[in-house]
Amino acid sequence: MSSARGAVIGLTGGLFSGLLGIGGGTVMVPLLVLWAGCEQRVAHAMSLVAIIPISAAAVLVYGGAGEVDPAAAVALSLGAVFGARLGASLLTRAPERVLKAAFGVFMLVAAALIAVDA
Amino acid sequence: MDLFTFPLMLAAFGVLVGVASGLIGVGGGIFLVPYLVVLAGLSQHSAQATSLLVVLPTAAVASWSLVRRGVTDVRTPLRIGAVGVAGSVVGTLLALVLPGQALRIIFAVLMCIVGIRLLRDAVRRRAVAEPERGGELDEAPAVAPGPRA
Repeated sequence: MSSARGAVIGLTGGLFSGLLGIGGGTVMVPLLVLWAGCEQRVAHAMSLVAIIPISAAAVLVYGGAGEVDPAAAVALSLGAVFGARLGASLLTRAPERVLKAAFGVFMLVAAALIAVDA
Repeated sequence: MDLFTFPLMLAAFGVLVGVASGLIGVGGGIFLVPYLVVLAGLSQHSAQATSLLVVLPTAAVASWSLVRRGVTDVRTPLRIGAVGVAGSVVGTLLALVLPGQALRIIFAVLMCIVGIRLLRDAVRRRAVAEPERGGELDEAPAVAPGPRA
């Protein structure tokens, strides 16, 4: 992928992340697959790495607001970190078609959640 | 709910979010925020701030595991993410002046179109073939009619 294309994808993902308060992955994965021609598996993995700086910056901004529920964050994180290892190992092994279908379903669910929020 | 079962419930939900996040390649905030607001009773702001604190370690652990297995390199996506930080700052500022509700609805419709397109691709592509990009581009307008705007 050209670095210009990568930059546009990062910028768009970050823009929507800030604009709608959603994670950048929802935007970056489809762009990586449909525009940059990445395999679904690679796109998912790249999105996860790209989310690290984006969410770290957001934590710095939001952290100042002092509205974090620390107990909930710790309990959820403990579970999520365990689950993430499992999810990543599934991602490594799952067939492309399954990943495409899983992401397609995710997009529809996420669309519903976003629409309800509106 | 008492003080003991509540954290357990949160951790169990965390496992589900973590699996989905690692598999689908997203942070998981889209599941975490509604859960924290509706079921854990946090305010929207508090839920968003808390969700970000969960997304960061989740994405980091999944990334570590995937980079180690050689699914992706580190530099390309980190560069994408670094530009993303700039985009996110601009987006946060724009959110103050743009109509949030309209944006959400437009975005939801776009997501439906992309979701249906990916599902269609998954069904059509029986063998794990190379993406037929020319064909996809030709078909793109066929998906265009926007559902329920």
